[in-house]
Formats: sequence, structure tokens, C-alpha cells
Amino acid sequence: MKKLLTLALLTATSALAQTTLTYSSFTTDATHMDDMKALIAAFEKDNPDIKVNLVTAPFDSYFTKLQTDIAAGSAPDVFDLNYENFVTFASKNALRPLAASLAPANTFYPAALSAFKYSGKQYALPISFSTVVLFYNKDLFDKAGVKYPTASWKWADVLAAAQKINNPTARVYGIHQPVQFWEFYKVAQQAGGGLKVGAKVEIDTPANRTALHYLVDKVRVQKVMPDAAEMSGVASEDMFLNGQLGMLVSGVWMFDKFSPAKFGWDIAVEPGGAKKATHFFSNAVAVSATSKNAAAAEKWAKFLSSSPTVASRRIASNWELPALSLSQRTLIAPYLARPLPSNREAVFTSLQYAVTPPVVDQQSQLQDIVNQELEAASLGTKTVEQALASAQQRVQALLGK
Amino acid sequence: MTTQLEQVRERPQAARVRRSRSNWPVFILLALGGLVMVLPFLWMVSTSLKPSTDVLTLPPRLIPAQPTTDAYTQVAQSFPLWRALLNSFLVAALTTLGQLVVSAMAGYAFARFRFRGRDALFTVFLGTLMVPFAVTMTPLFIIVKQLGWTNSYAGLIVPAMFSAFGIFLMRQFFLALPVELEEAAVLDGSSTLNTFWRVMLPLTGPALATLTVFSFMASWNNFLWPLLIVSDRNLMTLPLALATLQGVYPGQTQWNLIMAGTVVTVAPMILVFLLAQRWVVEGVTTSGLKG
Amino acid sequence: MYERGLSRTFTLALFLGPALVGAALFMVGPILASLVLAFMHWDLLTPMRFAGLANFQRLLHDPDFWGALRHTLTFIVGYVPLVMVVGFLVALGLNARIPGRGLLRALYFLPVVTSWVAVGLVWKWLLNPQYGLLNNALGTIGIQGPAWLFDPYWAMPAVILTSLWKDTGFVMTILLAGLQNIPPEYQEAAAIDGASGPQLHRFITVPLLAPALFFALTISLINSFQVFDQVYVMTGGGPAGATTVLIERIVKGAFSYSQMGYAAAMSWALFLLVFGTSFVISRLRARWEP
Repeated sequence: MKKLLTLALLTATSALAQTTLTYSSFTTDATHMDDMKALIAAFEKDNPDIKVNLVTAPFDSYFTKLQTDIAAGSAPDVFDLNYENFVTFASKNALRPLAASLAPANTFYPAALSAFKYSGKQYALPISFSTVVLFYNKDLFDKAGVKYPTASWKWADVLAAAQKINNPTARVYGIHQPVQFWEFYKVAQQAGGGLKVGAKVEIDTPANRTALHYLVDKVRVQKVMPDAAEMSGVASEDMFLNGQLGMLVSGVWMFDKFSPAKFGWDIAVEPGGAKKATHFFSNAVAVSATSKNAAAAEKWAKFLSSSPTVASRRIASNWELPALSLSQRTLIAPYLARPLPSNREAVFTSLQYAVTPPVVDQQSQLQDIVNQELEAASLGTKTVEQALASAQQRVQALLGK
Repeated sequence: MTTQLEQVRERPQAARVRRSRSNWPVFILLALGGLVMVLPFLWMVSTSLKPSTDVLTLPPRLIPAQPTTDAYTQVAQSFPLWRALLNSFLVAALTTLGQLVVSAMAGYAFARFRFRGRDALFTVFLGTLMVPFAVTMTPLFIIVKQLGWTNSYAGLIVPAMFSAFGIFLMRQFFLALPVELEEAAVLDGSSTLNTFWRVMLPLTGPALATLTVFSFMASWNNFLWPLLIVSDRNLMTLPLALATLQGVYPGQTQWNLIMAGTVVTVAPMILVFLLAQRWVVEGVTTSGLKG
Repeated sequence: MYERGLSRTFTLALFLGPALVGAALFMVGPILASLVLAFMHWDLLTPMRFAGLANFQRLLHDPDFWGALRHTLTFIVGYVPLVMVVGFLVALGLNARIPGRGLLRALYFLPVVTSWVAVGLVWKWLLNPQYGLLNNALGTIGIQGPAWLFDPYWAMPAVILTSLWKDTGFVMTILLAGLQNIPPEYQEAAAIDGASGPQLHRFITVPLLAPALFFALTISLINSFQVFDQVYVMTGGGPAGATTVLIERIVKGAFSYSQMGYAAAMSWALFLLVFGTSFVISRLRARWEP
């Protein structure tokens, strides 16, 4: 009885001396739960007075949950954010400005770090980044007698190759490139235009029309890309894996999924139009403005974003690329050394042309509107011109401009 | 009219029998319709028993070439489907129990007690039935959030325990029972609670049965509310689990796995229907509200 | 209740208490709160601001809201007449003397007890343009089926078809109960008078069935204004927003766009629509049954 009491007292007091952090994450999915638990264990070992309580939520409901938690005054101490939601939370004073010591010089990839600055202050630390590249099926290229894509390819080269490879009766298509907001703002920049939602709303411009034509004509005019009905719910990534696509524009997070492919494949930097533009996606961690454990929270945020332990674990388990400075080649070397795809350098080359998405307060609604208009264009129920005009009008109404 | 009725009653048997023979076309049409009703269920089961490689084959086969229960085990591995089954059962059972208790007691009070504002209060209750869920769902969400019940069994069960429909049903039934029974009990010196428990409640079998079945089914099939308040996979009820299942396997929709999920969701309700057909029909027709 | 004084209060509290507390907290409370919310701007993160009539004014000019209303009405106009007619015909058929009535009745009612989510998914699979049963079956008789849920013009008809399948048994049950309350003598008397089949139905069956018909119609209308579950799982509101219905728009407004006040205003607009429709139906009924 006495032993039990002592044990209880000890646990209680040690609990009192401990700081417990709540960390809310959407980047930790089922496949990487074990990795995160190992990282937490490593952190707690180095910081015995801090305990990290992990809470995860699927991406779809994550931000609603976060907002309601903050509104109810029960915000987590540390939480994941992605680029486009960052502005919403930073502008509403939900985030704590972070000390400069958390981001020493030359630690982070500069674009990643500055993406999470707001009004000159650092409000979140980037924990990962990814990009989109052009995947291609070597076997289909060989069969059609087409040369493999290079970093200097342009749209015309893509179309030419796609037309040679295209064989709808055998259910093989030249290319798949999604027609939606995420693709469009980037392709618009490739055409020399861009989606602007700042002081002026610029959606319906000549350059943007060219861009949307490039995306939509592949389905409706040259017919080198399957439409939604032809895909019947099968995802483009699965079609690529089945050897049905000559080329695919998709994210570097697909490397793992494509490794069992029964054909040779590789990647190339995305072809440019008038110029090159590539995606830059980044996730970050932020500390809540109302956190009562700010010091401990900042330690955990620093660990998650720049610790070599975390970085090498992420790379080893194919769990996103840490957003660290490219000068830290020793950490990145294992990533580059993996065999498939062989042209992994293209991932880093892509970073040179990275563009960021337009971000507004009503981000969710903006995306929905643009996506709906783009879908109408790709279905053929509206022309490209009509779709962009409509999107321009609706976004202007949304933003009150 | 009366003479005609008498004439009808006196009509010979033969005439009546001749009438029914000409109903074979009707039977055939209805049977075909019945087949249309059943076919999707058969297809659902058939797909759930197909191996993954067999699902997207053309032409589609109704009877799987190599039936297997792989889909069921596969889903269970990467997704808490069986946990969802348990959750659905738990939530439905407790909600129903709560509804029975609350509705029976309140229904009795509205039927038999005399107090000021009784009818006005009951009208208020009835009025809430007219208001669509869309109106209350946002504030309800916030209230449940303040109570700390989001993502919890309490949040799924407690708000659903208070059903104006249940109160209405029980009140109707109590009103139809003879007053003499209670008067007799009072003469025997019984308290209201005792009268209720010993005398009145046991007589409400049919109403309780109807309410039980209706409430259980409505809770089992409920989707929108769980969608709003549940974010933890282990807390999902079956319809929510089903909807989420679509997005679990990124890219290809694994139809055999999803169909396995729908079988697990649908089978218990069909079982309830087969066992308690009468109450199910009564419950659904009396309420007619979205279940 | 025959107690007096303190025990009376206690008994009242015991029997009514839970229902009252529950109703206040989970039914009446939210309704009142929603009424207040409709006149506010609130995004959950920043404090509430008074909005006056701004939300309602926005509603009148919001193409998304009117689009959602249009889609909902399309669903109603397609679904309600169909389900009433088919339900009526099936009820008529099951009211006749045919073998296997019990089994057939059960078969038609089976879809009614299942969840809309399950039904939506099964039909989504059945309607798959390439691999689904329906298009392949149509193919065997030489018809090229449409892309159903992937085609903006066929998506809503597909949802209507699915809903028709699920709810026919429900309408049938209500109407069958009504039919069985009509004494067969009336019909037989009319038959003796020389009334043909359709005349019989027009002058005897339908008028006597009026209460059940109105009941089924009202319920179907109220439910279809609030259609959500099957649309959510089958199309998610697409393609290109072609099937975005009112509830979906309201849920999105509240939970994805964090426009709590505006969502509340939209939900009250929906309430007016539902209430108005029920009112019109009950007026029609009063005129129909003198």
C-alpha cells in the first residue's frame, strides 16, 4: 500500500514538473505514424521535462477542427499548417511570432523560410517541401520512337510526343495533366501570365487564356488526354502505373507508389511555355499565440523543422523532403542516391523556377470557384473564354472588388 | 349505393375468381420491378466477394469467378470498419434507449398531467419538428463543442436522444389508453411514478416497439451529424466510415472494398427489417421524416 | 398525476425534466441561436460582428445560392412526380390479388431501410460508365450509355434515378395502407355501373386515397428540399457544380468557408421554402377535400 502511494505521489509530482505539449498534425498519416512516434520519443529523451501529445486529423477536416479549437480557446500548442492556410491564421493573430534563434542562417531553404513570414515576422517554420514534375513511361516512348523529355522541353514538345504515343483503342493516352486550380496557377505563369488576387483581380487575361487552352485542348481538341468519363473514377496515377499514360504531371510524393511499375520510367523538370514555372508546396509548424508552454513549444517546433534526426528519418521513410538549405548536401545525398527515378536531381532543379499560389483569406472558396470553372471548360460545357470570364467575375464578387 | 353494395355481396364466387386471373400481367410487372429492387443488393454482395484484380474486368460478371472474402479482411486491416460497426451499434442502442426513456416519460406527462402551459409547451415541441436540421446544425455544433463533446460518443448520442417525434408518438398512444386504469391505481394508493411504471408503460408495447425500431434505424443510417462532429477514425459510425472509405485508397476506388463496407452497413438493417417488419413499416410511415 | 405540493413538482421535474433540458439545449436553443446568427458575421476565429440584413442581401444576389436552389428544384421536379407515380402504380399492383404479395412488398421496401450513403455508393458503382453494370447491360442491346455521374447533364438524373429506387417502397407503403382502407365494395359497385379501369381510379380510388396521397407528397417534398447524403457520396456536388444542392452549399458555407452567419441565413431561407411548400400543399388539400 505504501509503495503504491509513493509511486502515485512520484508520478503526480513528476507530472507537475513536466510540460505537456499538444501537437496537432495533418502531415502524419497512417503510414508514418510509427515514424512520428519514434521522433517524439527521441525528442522526449533529449528533453525529459517535455512530453508531446500527438493529435492527428485527416486533411479534409483538419483546418475546420483547428479553427473551432482556437475559437473555443483550446488551441493546440504546436500545429501543422500549409502555405495557403498560413495567411489566414497569421492575419488573424492566431500564431506566435518565433524567435530568430529558431532559424539560424543557412539552415532552411530560403524560399521555404520566407514563405512563412508575415508582416516581416517569422510565424512558422517549414518542415517539408515538395514539387511537381513530369513523369514519363520509357517503354511507351521507345515503342513510339520518341526521344525522352529533357529539361529544355517546351509545351510543343509535349504535345508532339503525346500525339505519337496516343492510342485510345488500346486505352493508352499520351499524357495526363490535371485541369484544376493547383495546376492552373502554375501553367498560367508558364505562359507568362498568372492568377493574381491582390489589389487587382487578374484571372481573365490573354496569357491565362493561352494557358487554359493548353490544359483543356489536350482533352477536347488534340484528344491526347482521357476525359473524366473515359477515366471512370480511375485515378491518373493508377493509369500511369498500369502503363496507360505516356506522361503524367504529378507530385514527387508518388515515387514510392510507382516503384513497382512493370516498365521503365523517369522524371524530368516540367516543360515550360513562354518560360518555366514549377510548384513549390511546403508544410510548416506554428506555435499558437495563446500557448501557455511557449518555450517548450518552440523547442519542439525547432526540432521538427531542422533537426538532423528528423531530416534523415523523413528521407529514409519516404516521408516528404525536409525544407533544409541545399548546402546541407550530406543530408540530402541519401535521397539523391536512390535508384528510381534516376533523375532525382530534377526535383532540386525544379526549385529554381518555383512559384507560389495566390493566397487570400477566402482561400477555400476561391479554389472551389476556379475549380468549378476549369472543370466546366474541360468538360466542354463552357469555352475557355467563358470559363475564365465567369471565374473573373465570381472571384471579384467574392473579394468585394 | 346500398342496393348496389348488396348486389355486390351477392355476386357469385365465379365472377370474383375470374377477376383475379387477369392479374397475371400485373404480377409479372411487379416481379420484374421487384427484381430491379433486389439486383443492386446482389451486385453489391457479388462485388464484395471479388478479388481486387477481378473488379474492373469487362464484361462484368454477376457471379464472381473466384469468390473470396479478401475484401473484408483487407478493409479491416487498413481501416477500422469493424470498429465502425461497433460504434454504430453502440450509438444506435444508447440513443434508442435514451429516446425511449425521455419520450415515454414526457409523452405520459403531456398526455396525462395537468399543468399550466402544457399545450403551449407541447406545441413548441411539435414546432421544432418543422425546422430543418440545416438550421440547427451550426449552433448545435458550437454548443456541442462548448460542452467538449465533439469527437466523442456523448456528442453522437446525447443530442439525438431528444426527439419531438418520439414524444409525439408516445403521447398519442397514452391518450388512447383508458383513464380508468390510472384512477384505479390511485385508489390503490399508487404514486404517479409507480402507476406509470407498473400500469401504463407495460401497455405501450406496440408504441415502444415502433419507436425502438424507428429510432435505431434512424441512428444507424444517420450521416450528416456524425460527418460534422467526428474527425477521429476510431469514432466513425458506419455511414461515415463508408463515405471516408472512398478517399482512403488514394487514386483507384477499390470497389470491392467499398462494397464490402456497404454490405456490413446494410446487412444489420435488413436483418432488423426481416425480424421486425411490422414495426419498421409502422415507424417509417408514421414519421416519414428523413431517417 | 394526483400528487400535490412538493411531490407534484418533483414528479413533473422527473417526467418532463430531461425532455425540457434536452429540448432547450439541443432543439430550441440552436433554433434561436441560428436566428441570431443569421444577422451576424462570424468566422469562428474573430469575434462576432453585427451584420444587420447584410447576409440576406448577399443571399439575394449570390449566384451560388441560386444555383444550389436551382439544382435542388431540378431534383424535386424530377424525383417527386416520379416517385409518387411509380409508388402509386406499385401500390395499386400490390393491392390486387396476386401471388407472393408479402414477399413482393418486402422486396420493394428493402431499399427504404438502408442508409443513403450505402445506396449512393452501390449506385455510383452500378452507374460507372466503363465498368458499371448498367452501361454494360445497355451495351448488350446496342445502346451506348451516357457517362452518368461524370456528365454534367446526366449527373442529376442519375441521382434522381437512385433516389427513386430507394424511396418507391416508402411511397408505396403509405399509399398501400391508404388503398387498403378503401372498402372494395365501392370499387366493385362502380365496376357494376360500368366504370372502366382508369375511370374507376379517377373517380373512386384517387379521391378516396387523397389523405394518403397528400401525406406522401408532403413528406417527399420536405425530404427532397433537404437532399444531401446521396449527392455527397455520389458526386460531391459536381461535375462542375452541376449537382450542388442547398444543404451542401450551407454545410460548405459553415464548415469549409467559415461563414457561419451567412450559412445560418441560407438555412432560414431553406426553412421558408420548406414551410411555404407545406403550407401550399395543405391549402390545396383543404380545397380538394370539401
